[in-house]
Parts: sequence; C-alpha cells; structure tokens
Amino acid sequence: MTETLDLDRRQLDEVTKVLLDRHCGLEYLRERMDAGEAHQPALWNRLAETGLVSALVADEAGGAGLTPRHLPGVLHATGYHGVPEPFLETAVLGVTILGAYAEDPWVADQLRALAEGSLLVAVRLAVLDPHVAFAAQSDLLLDVADDGTVTAYPTAEVAVTSLEAVDPLRPVARVALPGSGRVLGVDPALARRVRTLAVAGSACQLAGAARRLLDLTVEYVSVRHQFGRPIGSFQAVKHKIADVAVGVDMAEAAAMGALDAVDEPDAAARAAAAKAYAGDAAARANVEALQLHGGIGFTWEYHLHFWLKRVMALSVAYGTTAAHRRGLAADLLNRTGRREPGHE
Amino acid sequence: MSVNIMTEHNGIDQSSTVDVFRSEVREWLAANAPRESLLPWTSREGFDQHRAWEQTLFEGGYAAVDWPIEYGGRGADLRLTMAFAEEYYRVRAPERVNMGGLYLLGPVLMQYGTEEQRARWIPDLLACNTIWCQGFSEPGSGSDLASLSTRAVRDGDHFVVNGQKTWTSMGGFADWIFALVRTDPEAAKHRKHSGITFLCIDLRTPGVEVRPLAMVDGTKGFAEVFFTDVRVPVENVVGGVDQGWKVAMSTLGFERGAVFGDHAKFSNDVAALAGLVRRRGLEQDTLALDELGRVLVETEVYRANVYRLAALAEAGGNLDQTASINKLFWTEMQHDIFATGLRLMAEEGGVVGGDREVLPGVDPVTAHAWKDWHHRYWYARAAMIFGGTSEIQRNIISERVLGLPMEPRPT
Repeated sequence: MTETLDLDRRQLDEVTKVLLDRHCGLEYLRERMDAGEAHQPALWNRLAETGLVSALVADEAGGAGLTPRHLPGVLHATGYHGVPEPFLETAVLGVTILGAYAEDPWVADQLRALAEGSLLVAVRLAVLDPHVAFAAQSDLLLDVADDGTVTAYPTAEVAVTSLEAVDPLRPVARVALPGSGRVLGVDPALARRVRTLAVAGSACQLAGAARRLLDLTVEYVSVRHQFGRPIGSFQAVKHKIADVAVGVDMAEAAAMGALDAVDEPDAAARAAAAKAYAGDAAARANVEALQLHGGIGFTWEYHLHFWLKRVMALSVAYGTTAAHRRGLAADLLNRTGRREPGHE
Repeated sequence: MSVNIMTEHNGIDQSSTVDVFRSEVREWLAANAPRESLLPWTSREGFDQHRAWEQTLFEGGYAAVDWPIEYGGRGADLRLTMAFAEEYYRVRAPERVNMGGLYLLGPVLMQYGTEEQRARWIPDLLACNTIWCQGFSEPGSGSDLASLSTRAVRDGDHFVVNGQKTWTSMGGFADWIFALVRTDPEAAKHRKHSGITFLCIDLRTPGVEVRPLAMVDGTKGFAEVFFTDVRVPVENVVGGVDQGWKVAMSTLGFERGAVFGDHAKFSNDVAALAGLVRRRGLEQDTLALDELGRVLVETEVYRANVYRLAALAEAGGNLDQTASINKLFWTEMQHDIFATGLRLMAEEGGVVGGDREVLPGVDPVTAHAWKDWHHRYWYARAAMIFGGTSEIQRNIISERVLGLPMEPRPT
C-alpha cells in the first residue's frame, strides 16, 4: 500500500514537473503578469488533460480516484512554479466537497464538467479567510460555513468584488452571497476535512514557493561577483542562506507530512502547525532573497518578485501564521488545563 | 562477522505491530520507572542514581532497543524505536546519561572496531558498567578540530600520550575516554586531517588527570582531562593508526543526526510551558499565546521531520545531507523553548531557586523544577556549541548541501 502510494506520488510529481517546466515557465508568468490576468484556459486545459485536475475525482465519475495523500508533491510544485491557477481550490477542495454529494445529479454534472477542465471552483471558508481566491475567475462558488453547511452558488449570481491582491497571479475577492444558494448538505466532518485540506494544501504551496526563493538566491549569489569572488563564498551571505534552507526544508517536512496525515485524528493540528511554520520560513526566505539579490531583485523586469509576492499571499491565505499559532496554543492550554486541576 | 555478545534479550518480532510493542514498553515502564524524579546527574549522588536506572533499563532489555540483536539490542526498526522513546518520555522517565557510549562510541565500534574490541567494550558499555566520554576538543582546537595537538608517540606496543582535552561532557563521572590524538605530525604539514588516530583510553591509567569544570550554573557537568606520559596499548586504536579523522566524522554524524524519538521529550517541555502560561494567568494574553504557539509549532515540525527522516531511512535513503539541518533546527528550537520559559516568567525569571514564598506566581512549581529549567536553559545554550557550532553547521549546509562556492581557505 505504502509502496504503491510512493510510486504513484513519484509519477505524479514527475508528470507535474514536466508539464510546468514546459508550460508555466518564467516567460509564461511574465506574460500573465503583464496581461494582469492570472487564469488562462490553455494552461488549465493542459492540467486537466494530464489528469491532474481530476486526480481526486472518483473513477466512476471520470477521475483517477486518488486521495489528497497523493498530492503533496503536486501542490508543492504549483507553489514552486508559481502556477497562476486555482488548483488547490478546484482540484482539491472543490472535488472533495462535490464528491461528497455526487449522488445529487446536479452535483454530478458539475463534477463531470470540473473533471473535463471546463468548470473552475472557488471555495469560501469564512472562518479561516475573509477573502476568496479566484472567485472572479470561477464558475461555481462553494461556501463551507463554520457549522458545516455547504452551499453552492453559480458565481454569476454572486456579488464578487475583486481586490487588488499583493500577488496579481493569485487573485482574491470579497464576495456577498445571495440568499438563494443550493444547499448541498450540513456535514461538520466534511467541513473540517475541507479546512484541513485548505490549510495543509496551502502550506505545501507555500513551502514550494519558499523553495523557489531559496533556489533563485543560491543561483544568484553563485554567479554574482564582488571583490573578485562570488558573493556566495562570503560567510555573511552563506549563513543567511543556510538559515533559509533550514526553514524551507523543515517547512516541507511539516507541510507534506500534514497532507499525508489528513486522515489522522490530529490532522487539523498538524496542518495548522505546518501552515504557521511555513509562513515564518517563507517570510525569512522572502527577506533574505531580496536582500541578497540587491538592486536587481527590486525591479519589475526581474522575476524574483513573482515568488516574493506569492509567499506573501499564501502566508495570509486560509488562516494567517499568527492565527494558526495562537489557535494551537489555545488548544494546548485547554487540553492540558482540563487534566491539571488538583495536582501538578 | 561479529561476536554474539548478548543473547538474553530476544529481538522484537518486526511483524508485531507498533501498538503491541508500545503496550509492552508501557507496562514495563509502569512497573520500573522511578516514581520520583532523580537528583540532577551533575552531582555524584545524582549521577549514581541515573547510572542505576540505566542498569535497570539494560536488565529490562531497553538500554538500546534499536541496536542489532547480536550486540545486545532489540533490533527495533525506526517505528518501534520511536514508539519506545514516545512511551519513555510520556512517563517522563529520567534523562539518559549513557548517550555518549550508546549513540557515539557503540555505533563506531560496530562500524570500525575489531571483533576483539567489540567483545571487550560493548557489553559493559551497554550495561552502563562503563561510562565513556568524548575527548575531541582541546583548548586550542574547537571548531577547527583537525588542528588538535594532543600527541601520541609509538613506543613498542604502546602509545605514549601527552596533551589536554577539554569541555569533556560527564568527564568527572567517566571511566574511559575515546580521544583524537595526533600520531603523525609530519602528515599534518600537508593535510591537517591526516595523521590523527582515534584512541580509547582508560581514565585510571597513570598520568591521566581529570579536573571537573564548574559550568555557568555551578554544576559540574564537564571536565578537562590532562595526559602526561600516559601509556596506552596499541590495540586500543579504533579504525587504524592515522585513520582517526573518518572515524571522528562518523561519530559527529551520529551526534548531529536525528535521535529518533526525542521529539517526545520536547513536547513535554512545551506542555510544561503551557503550565507556566496558565499559572501566570496569561491564557488570554496574545503575546503569551504567540510565544507558546511558536515553540509548539516548532516541536510539531520537528516531529514531522523525524518521521520524514525515518521514512527516508527505511526506504534506504542516505541521511548524511540532513544531519546539519537537523542539528541546527533542534538546537535552536530547544533554546527557544527554554528562553521562552524565562521570558514568560518575566520578573521571576531573575530568580533561579528559592521556595514558594519567593516565587508566589508559580506556586505549584517546586523550586527544584524551576532550577532545573534554568539548568536546561544553559544546556540548550551549550547544545548550540557542542557537536559542531551553529556557525559550522551553517558552513556545512551552505557548502555541502546547497553547493555554494567555498570560502577561500588560508593556505
């Protein structure tokens, strides 16, 4: 079982890397940035044709029937390559929600369209995040309320206010839901799972984006010469990068481990810890990457800012670093507090 | 070929689930672990208590569950090893004082030792009849370890050792030392890592003088060791004369790499911090929640990493590249935990000992526990130095893991 999972993961990671290297390189991101428009059907269709969009859709509904545990590497890659598409929102969260109500013919139709690549889903998780990523680009908006009520809205019927996002390639919006949505059900366990997937999944993307900042920085300081030697040979530079590397490496362990543990009883806590840590690690990567690139890093022409902005955007998505950290601390206090009275 | 040293304890049926082994361990600990915490090992009396506990562990077959069965371990795989540690720390069993022997010298002997050396040293090491300490650092050789100058001159079937080792952890309680000595000073002129030998020395040999050093908190956790014409049999060389550097590097690898299961120990420390927050009535204090949350997150991340490394190791992967990242992370995390405790204690942070009257905000915390927290704070500071300083780890990570250009070396 584990070996099959590992093998499947390696294949998925490889397929993703090949596709994104070819179709989501620096020039592509530049083009999207200049166009001021993140989503583009061409790239999304490729993701769908490769089977990545429908990876979690059940076999009988035209998908590969895989689980979120197959996707840590794929989500990491979407961060590493700066993919300007709602992959987490549609292919992971959207499929998880719609898949739970697939016996409803209307939902089954939506799921089929999603698997074909012709339906983009945005997910509102108000308890975690006041904004909705890719809302303006989506066809269907799924609202997962704190109490577990799941409601679907055709996005055309929702008042969507696009916001000026720190990362133009990860657009966000504020939405005002009409009273007339299609209630799919009330399922607190599903809501918990969706939240955990959002938190762990975005932590994987964040770790991937931070890894890219590390790689770009290592590359730059290895070729940039001052005082007759590569600046990367100076300890003052090296030690900053080593600290970034520790953060990125541990963030990957935590984030990818959290997604792998999505079926465990403590999945939510692991996801929260991973997201909080990845936020701090990515913030360090952000600071040092720009510092060590110097002037070139500040230019619009140079591509470093794609990932500086991506880590800033993901750090606040689905619960900020501080919110997750404080939430975990409060849980620990509650847990240990109940055990304690009367004795030490 | 290895000697079959211990046969009393059978290996664990690897097909048995983690849960079965876990309950076996839990039951044994419930029956055998000390009810009251032992005195700190930095005093003679405390050390003897800890040594007696190590011997109890040995008799139970739990001294080194992950060691191969042929050397007296239980042949536990990493999942079982971590389960043992999690149970061990869950009941807050005593700090292990035989780690230098079990996790540094033991594996070195298995890898580089002769059959005769293994038969001679491993059983007493495992049973904690012999306490080993590490003799690497010298007054003039810290981070630049290869510049060491303790000399060993061949005289027939002995080496004659002269020199000084320092910062020797547990030196005041040890029976033997495994030391790096220079056997070929000529070779060092070309390459300073050459001509070094890994030599085991009985501390009762004439000419050895151990002077315990008081640490910043007054406890005697380490020592300096002087050698004056100390005669050591040639058969005490491990890994070949002049071949000591590679042996030393493998012990440093063990020292820096993951100790599978110690994440459970840090979780206990964070739970203690939560107690501190509650006792001071800071449950609603945003700053306190941030501080507690940060170290809690770090320990969770550390646990995730230990599990990742275990999976990597079980899949036959190489962990060499992970050791320095691991060491830098856990030592900084440990420091963060104990420093945060001192900060949360605010004004009382300036008081190390005393009773409940002096520490009114911490009523249930005994003076002993608070003093221990301070002691462990200093230990956390030491951990950022021993086994290769944080700065050395950053050099290794940047040059050997990330491949950054080498620092120009003095010629």
